[in-house]
Amino acid sequence: MKRPVRLEPGQKLVLTANRLLDGRIVWWCEGGTWDLHIGRAALLDADEAEAVLARVVAEAQRDGVVGVYDTAVQAAVPPEPVTVREKIRAHGPTVHPEFAVETEQ
Amino acid sequence: MSIPVGHYQYDRVDRDFLQARIAEFEGQVNRRLDGTLSEDEFKPLRLMNGLYLQLHAYMLRVAIPYGILDSRQLRKLGEIARRYDRDYGHFTTRQNIQFNWIRLEDTPDILRELAEVDMHAIQTSGNCIRNVTADEYAGAAADELVDPRVHAEVLRQWSTLHPEFTFLPRKFKIAISGSPNDRVAARFHDIGILARPGEDGAPVFRIFVGGGLGRTPVIGEELFDSVREEHLLATLEAILRVYNAHGRRDNIYKARIKILVQAIGVEAYREAVEAELGQMELDRYRLTPEAVAAIRARFAVPLLEAPDDADAVLTQQRRDDPLFDRWVRSNTHVHRDPGHIIATISLKPAGGIPGDATSAQIGRLADLADAYSFGEIRITHLQNVVLGHVRKDRLRDLWLGLSEVGLAEANIGLIGDIVACPGLDYCALANARSIPIAQKLGARFADTALQAEIGALRINISGCINACGHHHAGHIGLLGVDKRGEEFFQLTVGGQAENGAAIGTILGAALPEDETVDAIARLVDCYLGRRENGETFLDTLTRLGHEPFREAAYETV
Ligand code: HEM
Ligand code: SF4
Repeated sequence: MKRPVRLEPGQKLVLTANRLLDGRIVWWCEGGTWDLHIGRAALLDADEAEAVLARVVAEAQRDGVVGVYDTAVQAAVPPEPVTVREKIRAHGPTVHPEFAVETEQ
Repeated sequence: MSIPVGHYQYDRVDRDFLQARIAEFEGQVNRRLDGTLSEDEFKPLRLMNGLYLQLHAYMLRVAIPYGILDSRQLRKLGEIARRYDRDYGHFTTRQNIQFNWIRLEDTPDILRELAEVDMHAIQTSGNCIRNVTADEYAGAAADELVDPRVHAEVLRQWSTLHPEFTFLPRKFKIAISGSPNDRVAARFHDIGILARPGEDGAPVFRIFVGGGLGRTPVIGEELFDSVREEHLLATLEAILRVYNAHGRRDNIYKARIKILVQAIGVEAYREAVEAELGQMELDRYRLTPEAVAAIRARFAVPLLEAPDDADAVLTQQRRDDPLFDRWVRSNTHVHRDPGHIIATISLKPAGGIPGDATSAQIGRLADLADAYSFGEIRITHLQNVVLGHVRKDRLRDLWLGLSEVGLAEANIGLIGDIVACPGLDYCALANARSIPIAQKLGARFADTALQAEIGALRINISGCINACGHHHAGHIGLLGVDKRGEEFFQLTVGGQAENGAAIGTILGAALPEDETVDAIARLVDCYLGRRENGETFLDTLTRLGHEPFREAAYETV
């Protein structure tokens, strides 16, 4: 399913997955940790992302995550995903503002 | 414990089996957590137990056989929502309930809690025979010919862990009704069964095969007109065998029985089934009157007693209270007993999420079922809830009780009674969000007097071509599509799920999300402006054809 990565100017890649224990969406951070907040995600260039992704996928079981993949973001602070789907993953279901990921610790 | 009114009474064997199954699954979960099982190995195992990994968390789909539960079970579902989820559950068009925020490690405990009330999540996913659905008015409706629950239970027992049908080419969905008014969408199921009394009084079954929605919508074709009760299981077994042997396994999109029936034709399929029947040991599959009677005995019969003036009381109350009258008009159905009535409780509050109920509402529904309907509740294939046996003189009290928890919306069968799948807010396969557009439409047509004026009109919304929201069968259907990462909706009109089953026709190019609600409002205006006396939306559409509606939808202001 791997599509060729084509980033527009101003875009970077982040790595994301679901946590094995509770299924929650997490983002890969510098130093190899995973976080619920996309704001802490490591921003990768297209040429480095492939190697990092391969490494992170290999460590997924140890890190307790499943389904690791990369996705494009606007490289702002915090980074904002490009597609509606990834925006919803980053922020929570739009129909339940009270579940917004931003309000969680 | 007394026998429940609506569903089959479990015994020791059923309960021991559930405990063994939970222990097995707990072992699988533990092996997944410690890494012995990979995700690829674990996925089919968790799916067999109703556990999906969705967009934000795990989702657990709990089976509600033929959509009927008792108040004790419903209360337990409310407790699970409160304790393990985020205080709500989602009722689905397959008469099940889904919990959206489940933790993998909690799942064995949740399954144990479900087993306490004789419930489970087995065969709610995977390539097996799924939970069998049935008419939501079963055993209650005046227009019913045969109570389909007994045979639905026969099918449940036959299909549960059926060793031969655990690895079918694809999922398999069966629905059964015993009314001449198809309320189960029989022609949109892999197998649809319509029961009626035969000449000797014993039921006979009309069987449709190869219906379905998804990316290739197909209306099921009649395979047999009158299968006798004793041959029901043999016939189904033979239909499944032909499918299991010849259904495609190389392409997931071509694996459903509908593709096989389309490929070889219904006559060839019938011949293959007859050939299979010819070599089967029919005695092994014979459904005897004794076996049916034994299952029927596990259902309690509600004692339908009502005062002589029950009907008169209701008539007077309707006269006195126009709001109540409006609710009775849209939300009730005629019961076989003149002192009783069937009440449908809408889970579609204006601007709300179709099919969602909070734990508090779920608990309250259980209380109201105890007070007004023998402790029995049904989930409908349109994501609502039914109390099947309400005394007419007590209906208004029920309505008042429902009003207190925001469940008295008078919109069943009307434009506010929208069916929507979870869409992109929850679903990993989605292209677009279904719920927000349902909420906007609900808010736009919030006025129930306006809804009553518009009359029978069903809107169905799916967030992708898998069609979980049955958009092909909606009078107006919306299909979410993704155009360069943006949400668009394709409109169809003229779909219908019941006796006159039809697949909706696409009106034209998909519309941007923010233009969709206005376009639908224009469709409705077009109908209101051009309808002739007594016509429903579908009638006017049939008379005028699609063109005026297409023009209205795409008219730009
Ligand atoms: C959120 C998780 C869900 C997933 C991943 C999912 C997945 C799917 C898929 C892949 C199909 C197409 C099957 C095929 O054509 O071979 C399908 C069809 C269907 N699903 Fe879902 N679904 C989900 C939720 C629901 C819900 C919430 C409902 C009920 C409201 C539902 C009811 C149906 C029905 C009725 C069909 C179409 C009928 C058919 O052709 O079988 N699904 N689903
Ligand atoms: S129709 Fe598509 S988006 Fe909606 S629940 Fe089914 S798979 Fe998900």
